Order: sequence, then C-alpha cells, then structure tokens
Amino acid sequence: MHDGRFDPGGFYEFNLTGGMIRTRNGERVVVLSEDVLSSLVAAAARDGDLTPLRRLGELLGEQVLASLDRPASVLSAEAVLGHVSAVTALFGWGRLAFERWGSALVVALRDKPELDEDELGAAALLGGMFSEISQRQVSCVPTGDSKFIMVDFEVAETVWGWFKDGADLPAIVGMLETKRAS
Amino acid sequence: MTDREDRLRSLLDKVRAKRPGERETHAAEAVDRIRAGSGTVAATAEATPLSEPSTSPEIESPTRYSSQPPRVERPLSVEPRAQSAQPPSRPAVAVSPSRRPAPIRPQSVAPTGQPVVYATDQPEFPRPKTFGELLELTLALRPR
Repeated sequence: MHDGRFDPGGFYEFNLTGGMIRTRNGERVVVLSEDVLSSLVAAAARDGDLTPLRRLGELLGEQVLASLDRPASVLSAEAVLGHVSAVTALFGWGRLAFERWGSALVVALRDKPELDEDELGAAALLGGMFSEISQRQVSCVPTGDSKFIMVDFEVAETVWGWFKDGADLPAIVGMLETKRAS
Repeated sequence: MTDREDRLRSLLDKVRAKRPGERETHAAEAVDRIRAGSGTVAATAEATPLSEPSTSPEIESPTRYSSQPPRVERPLSVEPRAQSAQPPSRPAVAVSPSRRPAPIRPQSVAPTGQPVVYATDQPEFPRPKTFGELLELTLALRPR
C-alpha cells in the first residue's frame, strides 16, 4: 500500500512446484472458468443457499481490510472504493463503483461474470464483502442494470420483493425513508 | 625692592622691637575687661560647659518609640481589606447589595491567553461524508 492507494503488485504468489496460488495474505485461491462458476452459482441459487458466495465475498473483504491503514468507516468513500474495486478486479469479478441515490448507497458492478439471471450470486458476494469491510450486517439487493442497493439485512427481503414486483431503483429509493434506530 | 615692601618691612621691625611681656599685658587687660563687662555672658559660659553635648531628650529617648499610638496596636482584621487593596487612583464606589455591577462590554475584554480567532466559530464548509457515514445513512433506510 502506497499513499493510501491499493498496491496490486505481488498480490498473487504462484507456486508452480507446489501447484498452488496464494494471495499475499496467505489465502489459497483457485482459478475457475466463468462457465463452471456460473453453473455452481445457479445450483446454489436454486437451492436457496448462497452461503459459499457470501463467504467468498467475506474473503475479498478481508483482503480489502488488510490493505487499509485505518478502519474503512473513517475513510472517504473514494478511498474505500479504490481498495474495494482493486480487490474485486483482481479476483475477476468486474468493475465496481459507488452511486448515491438520496440517502441510499448503491453498488454498481459492471462486466461481472454471468452467473444467474437474478444476480443473486453477485448480491451474496457483495453482501459478504461489505459486511466484512464495515463489520455490519449488510445486504446488497439487486435492483437491475448490475446495480445493488445496500440496505440493512432486516429490510432486504422487502426491497427484493419490490424489485420482483417491477419497481426500478428510483421507485425503490422512493419507497424508503430514513429511520433512526431507537 | 619696592616701596610697598619697604613699608611692610619697617612695620614688622616695629612689632619685633616690642617686648613679649608687653604683648601679654595687653592680652590680660582685654580679659579683665571682658570679665568685668557683662555678667550674662559669664553666667552662660559657666552653666553650659562645652564638654557636655547639648543633646535633646526627645531624640535619644527609646521610650518614645515603644509607646506607639493606639491605632498601631489594633488588630489588623479590623481594617477593611477591600479598601486597602484598592488602588489609590480608583475611587471607592458605594454599591448597594441589591444592585449588580455594571456589565463588562465584550469589546473591552479580550480573552486572555486565547487568540481571538478561536473565540469565533470556524466557517463551516461542506465536508464530504466518510464511508462510515454513508453506510449509516443507507442502513437506516426503512420502508415507508
């Protein structure tokens, strides 16, 4: 890490003799083709258990936290985005960006692998990653066009239902309001 | 040698020519005339011998200093401290208990030891929210 920026140099360690790939933090990773991963994610989505993908997102979040010199909560959104997008790209999950829709924080993940039609695999991955980064229970609910709204896990099912009923992102944001926890 | 010196020398010779006894006779006669002249002068000389210094008892007496005026022996607590602490140039103001002192004008009193720039609020500029603040906002969203 240099000047608060993510340093991708030496992120992977290829051990050709041992047949292993590790990250610089020691995490062993496996390279999969998009087709294979897609079929695995589709099966998990049908079974309703996307825990492995959420766990993969948590591993990505650990990589992000390891690259930060301070907690993500005190950093600017731009600084956190730089590290998150770098780690996401290094794992081949596409281009990540932040958007603000009123009080809602929206994650846009472009050029991601085509996994499942409802994008629940990517939602689980992002939810796990941002939960690890923020140390909070965060859910990223698909809202179409490769965008995911970040909400509390308690309202995730409700927002998902709105989207399934045809509401787009502006309509979903309009149906939410800020309520402080008492 | 000038004429003036000649006259002085002749006068000196005349004086030297007189006998010493004659000079003593003249002196004794002068003393007798003084003694016979004025009695007040003789009495004064006898009452105040020169060997005794004419000292004043008021100055040399230590008792004068031991007997201080009564105000010195009063306890100090009787003295009003507030009046003695006031500077002489500041007149004492009689203030009734129900009347409060006049307020101090702000422009006449600067905070001591504190720069004026810190006494005023800093101008606030829009500060970009941190990632944590953005996260708090989005996690606080609830259905209407």
